[in-house]
Amino acid sequence: MIGFLARTVDNRLRASKFLRSAINHVFPDHWSFMLGEIALYSFAILVATGVFLALFFDGSSAKVIYHGSYGPLRGVEMDKALESVIHISFDVPAGLLIRQIHHWAANIFIGAILVHQARIFFTAAFRKPRELNWVVGMTLLVLAMVNGYLGYSICGDLLSGAGMRIGYSILLSVPVIGPWITFLFMGGTVPVDATIPRMFALHVFLVPALITVLIAVHLGIIWRQMHTNYPGPHRTNKTIVGSRLWPSYTLKSLGLFLLIFAVIAALGGLVQIDPVWVYGPYNPVAILPGAQPDWYLGWVEGAMRLFPGVHIASSGKLWVPEVFFPAVLFPAGLFLLLYLYPFLDELFTFDAREHHVLRLPSEQPFNTAFGCGLLALLVVLEFAGGDDVVALAGDLSVVEIRAILRVLVFVLPVITWAISYALCRRARRRRQERQKAAELEALGDAGSTSEVMEPQA
Amino acid sequence: MLCPGQQNPGDSASRGEQIFAQRCSKCHGEHGEGISGVISIAGPSLKAEHDFGKVLTAVEVGPSHMPSFVYSLSIDDMRTVSHYVTDKIADIPLEEGDIGHGGDLFRMYCASCHRTAVRGGALAYDGSNAPSLVGKSPELIAGAVRWGPGPMPSFPSSVLDDKQLSSLVTYIRAVQNPAKPGGIALNWYGPVVEGCVAWIAVLGLVGFTIWIEKGGKG
Amino acid sequence: MKEPDQGDRVSETGGVDRPATFAPSRKQVGKTATVPGSLLALGVLLWEWATKVVRSQSHPPRPDSANPIAGCAECAEKAKRGAKPSEVLEVEPVSHEQIGTFLVVCAFLVALAGGIGFLITYWTGGSNLLLGATVALFFGGLGMALILWSHLLTLNRQVEEPREQMQPPPHEREAAVEDFQAGANQVHRRGLLKWMIAGASGTFAAMFLTMFRSLGQSPDSTIYSTVWKRGQRLMTSEGKPVSVNMLVPGSTVIVFPEDSIGSEKAQTVLLRVDEALLQLPSDRTGWAPNGNLAFSRVCTHAGCAVGMYETTTHQLMCPCHQSTFDVLRGAVPSGGPADRALPQLPLYADADGVLRAGGGFSDIPGPGYWGMP
Repeated sequence: MIGFLARTVDNRLRASKFLRSAINHVFPDHWSFMLGEIALYSFAILVATGVFLALFFDGSSAKVIYHGSYGPLRGVEMDKALESVIHISFDVPAGLLIRQIHHWAANIFIGAILVHQARIFFTAAFRKPRELNWVVGMTLLVLAMVNGYLGYSICGDLLSGAGMRIGYSILLSVPVIGPWITFLFMGGTVPVDATIPRMFALHVFLVPALITVLIAVHLGIIWRQMHTNYPGPHRTNKTIVGSRLWPSYTLKSLGLFLLIFAVIAALGGLVQIDPVWVYGPYNPVAILPGAQPDWYLGWVEGAMRLFPGVHIASSGKLWVPEVFFPAVLFPAGLFLLLYLYPFLDELFTFDAREHHVLRLPSEQPFNTAFGCGLLALLVVLEFAGGDDVVALAGDLSVVEIRAILRVLVFVLPVITWAISYALCRRARRRRQERQKAAELEALGDAGSTSEVMEPQA
Repeated sequence: MLCPGQQNPGDSASRGEQIFAQRCSKCHGEHGEGISGVISIAGPSLKAEHDFGKVLTAVEVGPSHMPSFVYSLSIDDMRTVSHYVTDKIADIPLEEGDIGHGGDLFRMYCASCHRTAVRGGALAYDGSNAPSLVGKSPELIAGAVRWGPGPMPSFPSSVLDDKQLSSLVTYIRAVQNPAKPGGIALNWYGPVVEGCVAWIAVLGLVGFTIWIEKGGKG
Repeated sequence: MKEPDQGDRVSETGGVDRPATFAPSRKQVGKTATVPGSLLALGVLLWEWATKVVRSQSHPPRPDSANPIAGCAECAEKAKRGAKPSEVLEVEPVSHEQIGTFLVVCAFLVALAGGIGFLITYWTGGSNLLLGATVALFFGGLGMALILWSHLLTLNRQVEEPREQMQPPPHEREAAVEDFQAGANQVHRRGLLKWMIAGASGTFAAMFLTMFRSLGQSPDSTIYSTVWKRGQRLMTSEGKPVSVNMLVPGSTVIVFPEDSIGSEKAQTVLLRVDEALLQLPSDRTGWAPNGNLAFSRVCTHAGCAVGMYETTTHQLMCPCHQSTFDVLRGAVPSGGPADRALPQLPLYADADGVLRAGGGFSDIPGPGYWGMP
């Protein structure tokens, strides 16, 4: 039957030629090339579960009195959005499972993107001709983080509502245009009833469409340029070594997809995430501690907690409030640096040639050290973002933790940088010594054979 | 409230007052309102303890940090002082309140220190954190709300009347054991711990990937 | 009559079904005169026609099997250019075929069990835990089966292939540019076209950006107001007026202006401290009758409600980023990322002992923005 279908299509599209090159496409044999697929398949799961949720979710801020099956909230006024989420969680069969799979998949999606991006970064896979794909990938990261934030904010609960209030203040803090863009995009002054419907439309229509298009572009570029290879025998700039898509890679890739779904489904069933019924409805007069965003924005939260309060005011007016520096300037600067990184790398290594063989981390000490230092910084900031949870769990004082982290945020990246740099240099030196020894050995053999030959008079 | 020198109807009442002043007021306050200090160390407010059996058991057994009085007081004395507590000291009427309204009050006043799942929260300068309310009796909670132990502000009846207090306590009781249909609740810590779990999953998936392509040389 | 080909089916009557004729012959209809019989015949004929059509199309003329690419012009061209064919580098043979088969079947059975388990759990209204676990078993089992198949039952072949360089050779680019120029030369008055396109793009960009205005409103004067006015009574969220002795030192309540109960911007925290401890700035000496202090509850850092009050250290603390404010000195920031004090509301007690606002907040409440006074 499959043959029948295939022939039907082929007779109308002449797909054989393309299909032949497709199934023969060569993929390098290394696990680090499959990390992007974790992200890709998580996104597929997000779309599938998202469609299910969208059938039940009501993205409306209209107020309603809850009379559903969760007792402690009966008689409480809340947004229709929150009521629909509680309905999905308690009343729709398998609704809670799909909702939790959706949220876990979102967290894993962005984690996988970062792991994949780290591989690209530490092996310098972003060099020409792949700078384009790096830029596309960075945009995908930004869009994924934005969509995650939008996704949990539309539930209308106290936790995400506090996050939205903070987001409102961050938008407001942008110099010159702050009040304008805030009123424009959020729809008015806090608390805004227009925001949730708007965020719903963005979360379900616009951003996923952009992500899908960019993923297609990302994969298309990879297909056209073909993967890189780690350095090794037969692996040059003019050849690619690996296994073909059919059958090796197909089986492995599909197997990975199913395993990813299994892991996320296990999480969705076993570990609770975002229990909105306990947080309760958003009310600007109410507040809760531990109001962190999801982990991928924890570093911004950490920056907001650690940055000392500095504002710019003059002639009796405030110009730049405190939150602008940690929440707008710092992330924007970091992302700009990362966007431009491949071009900066080309500039500083004086190397704009085409590269299809990867650079091992130890062969690029500056790059690796910079990456490790940046990761250390982000880890400290993430820790800082959760400092009140740490204080509670360890029964410590949040003030002390903050003081320690304010020192660590400078010290740890620098130490990490130094250590990674030293390790890379040592590894490179060792490899060079080994190569030299091997060459000498080969030369030595040649020398001994020439000695055997008698000199011709 | 009773002044020490006042004549009371019935000997047992004044005897109860005497025993209370001698044995209990040091930890529980002169009028049973509680001693300002960390709640687990100093004595809590007794203003809501209406249950005679419960008070008597506490005097006998000495739960938590409270000493047992079974060897230092006679049975009669223990009964007398328990009656004194339940009749004269306890004056907060606790009944089943409106759970929804209690939830709204909780989120406005209490959640910021004790967290929405009442598992406690971090404070700044006091040197201690807001404690978890899991396992605390409704009477203890009601008394603490009125009295404000340690760094906690107090909410006298002019701020939260008895009906509001009852609603609040009803909600807190419900949320001491919140519904967790989704699975393991990770102690309700929130996005921080959820992020840690997500990262464990990501690293696990990377591990799977390494296994899938084992032996691949790239 | 056409001779039957190899693929043709010979009908019951002995004649050959001609694909071109759609109606059954009269002889056939006559033979199976009953209605179901003729329907059956019709069905059979339609099926014959359909499969014959498909079969005739699925076997295009085969190339010469001895030399498959002889007829292919592209392949001949490639061979002429001397493209290096792909080279097999390494072959990993299939070992442990029996164990592999056994493991794969086991994994598949686990998956099946999981799937059936999910169906049972769903229809009996089972718990989220079971639902998730069974789904995980289903997909996990299948995934393991595929991967074990790939490890143990698949011959893995590593190949080396030439790679296309991304930098185009000069002649290729020149050819493309030439074609483009040739086409462009067909269009006359190109300069005018460029101006038209530029003008249209600019206008369209302006039109597009203008549509954003429909999203919302411009910031209005409410961002400069503090909502509170002199003489307004302080009300709790239940609508009860607050008297000067309602609080005792160490207690706190949330209040609003009497005409804006529940207002986010005007929410105020009223607390009472021992008067002797007050260290307010000199221009605020009359602002705290009997030690009653009122501050805006909207944090000046990022706008969360400053809900935490530590009575022992007299600190208001915001739970979002742990900014603390020293109440005794007028809620000045004492730690954390906030840098501006919480605006204070002047209070006075009227003749009935009811607390009233002595004016608006000392500053505009909430986090700041460009040009905030």
